[in-house]
Amino acid sequence: MQHKIIAAVAALTATMSFTALAQTTPEDAHDYRVAVMTALRGHIGAASMIARGLVSNDGHLVGHAKGLDSAANELHRVFQEGSAVVESEALPAIWDDADGFAAAIAAMTEATAAFVEAAEGGDGQAIGAAFRNVGMSCRGCHDDYRVQN
Amino acid sequence: MTTIASRIKSVAFVGAATLLAALSVYGQDNLVERGQYLTYAGGCISCHTEDTDDAVPLAGGRAMETPFGTFYSPNITPDEETGIGGWSDDDFVNAFWEGVSPDGEHYFPSFPYTAYTGASREDLLAIKAYLMNLEPVANESPEHDLAWYMDTRLAADGWKALNFEPARFEPDPEKDEQWNRGAYLVRHLGHCGECHTPRSTTGVLVTEEEFAGSVFGDENIPNISSHWIDGIGRWSLSDIEYFLDIGMLPDGDFTGSSMVAVIEDNTSKLTRGDRLAIAAYLKSVTPAENAH
Repeated sequence: MQHKIIAAVAALTATMSFTALAQTTPEDAHDYRVAVMTALRGHIGAASMIARGLVSNDGHLVGHAKGLDSAANELHRVFQEGSAVVESEALPAIWDDADGFAAAIAAMTEATAAFVEAAEGGDGQAIGAAFRNVGMSCRGCHDDYRVQN
Repeated sequence: MTTIASRIKSVAFVGAATLLAALSVYGQDNLVERGQYLTYAGGCISCHTEDTDDAVPLAGGRAMETPFGTFYSPNITPDEETGIGGWSDDDFVNAFWEGVSPDGEHYFPSFPYTAYTGASREDLLAIKAYLMNLEPVANESPEHDLAWYMDTRLAADGWKALNFEPARFEPDPEKDEQWNRGAYLVRHLGHCGECHTPRSTTGVLVTEEEFAGSVFGDENIPNISSHWIDGIGRWSLSDIEYFLDIGMLPDGDFTGSSMVAVIEDNTSKLTRGDRLAIAAYLKSVTPAENAH
């Protein structure tokens, strides 16, 4: 039951995701992107604590995994052309190297889908390995496409 | 209770000593493997490998831009002409301990012998065994491209005379084994301070502000002292260990900084025990406010 609710919420989030409207300014698009990235970060932080065994699972991991997967699947839309603003950590390479960036996002959605599967399976070792791959995909992208700071 | 504890300790100690003795006669393969591990721990790869996708690891040629000019790392594969193929054990150890080449030339401290001087001869020779076991690659690194006042090895000689004191690492008997291992990895082999400690105008590490962060090119290198706000005082041992393993910051963000190469070619290759030792040592570093 809980899984169904989470799936429904995830589906709802997906259908509500960002489409540029006439009144969407680049700043709005940027702020929306930051909000999505913050959601990713929150799920990652929480999931890592479960994956590291610092807090108990109690079934929450699947929710975090699905949240991650949902947000990851939105990434290709939140980095649309025209959402580059001056005060941003997004590097021009995102748009200049569109193929490389798309591949980096594809690596992430693949990793998050596998993480959902591992979280549902419940095996600690598989969860740790799948979470690690999600982390690698975050890092792979930040290495080339985000301002170094 | 104390007697039992100390008895367990002494049994463990004898066990460890026997294990070490067994390892030392284990043979060449084991030495090469140990050397590979220490090559990771020494952070050799990220500087001695050119920054291109098809670069041969450890064949040198990487440009390191500094306020004093551009240094090019040398080839450390066992090529006779352009690498370290002709080096003896003492040549190798002297380079790390004294900062001198086999010809007696003084190295610039872009080669961090200031940190490596603390490394043990045993560890250095294991690294040498690993490097000598690599495929030799002929690759002549470009000459350093330095400011006029640096454009002679005499500058390196003078700098060393003023700022360098060779010394091996001595374990602190007041601290436990984990802390001492961490200190050795952080301060010597891993040479973390080379980036994380600020430098004076003459390029000397400011020891009073050890690990208080620095600036490298256009990148801000973070404070890794145990300062609660500016440093990593708030991080748990697990947070630090996990960061060194996969690059995740405690808030779930991922580093995209030059630390990625350090994680890939060094800390992620270490055992969890060594990463925890690094963490334990860093947690003990005097809190310092951001240097920048």
